[in-house]
Amino acid sequence: MNKAETIEKLKSIVKPYVKNAEAFENLSEDTDFIRDLQINSANLVDVALDVEEAFDITIDNASMEKMLNVKAALEIIESKLSEE
Amino acid sequence: MIGNDVIDLELAAAESDWRRKGFLEKLFSADEMRLVLESENPEISVWNLWSRKEAAYKIFNRNTGIRAFNPKHFHCRDLNDSGIVVFGDSRVYSKTEITSQYIHTICVEDRNDWNKIASLSESQIIKKDDLPFVYQHGGYFPATVSHHGRFEFRFGLFKNGLDRDLSFQSAMYRTFFGDFQQP
Repeated sequence: MNKAETIEKLKSIVKPYVKNAEAFENLSEDTDFIRDLQINSANLVDVALDVEEAFDITIDNASMEKMLNVKAALEIIESKLSEE
Repeated sequence: MIGNDVIDLELAAAESDWRRKGFLEKLFSADEMRLVLESENPEISVWNLWSRKEAAYKIFNRNTGIRAFNPKHFHCRDLNDSGIVVFGDSRVYSKTEITSQYIHTICVEDRNDWNKIASLSESQIIKKDDLPFVYQHGGYFPATVSHHGRFEFRFGLFKNGLDRDLSFQSAMYRTFFGDFQQP
């Protein structure tokens, strides 16, 4: 899976939790889940769980702590996939 | 420092499925999960502990400058309406108000701070570097704002402020947290 595909998959995961549609339309690696997309903090757990299911990976606490933006999420997904 | 967090229970029920597999494990320690699952109303207990962790996180975030999604870094020992939240070498004191509509927690670092807290109106909040403050009698004091669904709560911590001058208390939007009764 290339980076563009991973971003598309991640976009479809976060979409149901997004409160700011405009920020979602303009999503980039710099997009912050809370500040830009205005995802409720409790829903970050759902994002983590959805990512685990969609990519068949396990996100440990240390990784989840950093999962605040698209860039960090991509890095975590890529690093976990390479461990598999 | 001060931190608060409100949860609109109606919105939380619509937004989150706390029974979802893996959900509680990502938020809570084994001890906290036991507290929640053995309680009379697990749903209320989930949001009770979550609001405390969020309020404590705001103090952590402001004191350290660290942004993280680290709910398991914060430990609650009970479900009482007041209690200690421990994280790292720090501990903060929490007070939680539970109503049928919302759950709201305030955390402070010092027990003596409870009578230095006052509720604020929206216009009293000043943002500096994206952090809320309140300006009163020539000085800036830390403030905390939490909004979820139908509810928004704002409080200021007037450390070394209220002791010196209690005259502006009556001008406050609401009264002290200690007088803050459940509706």
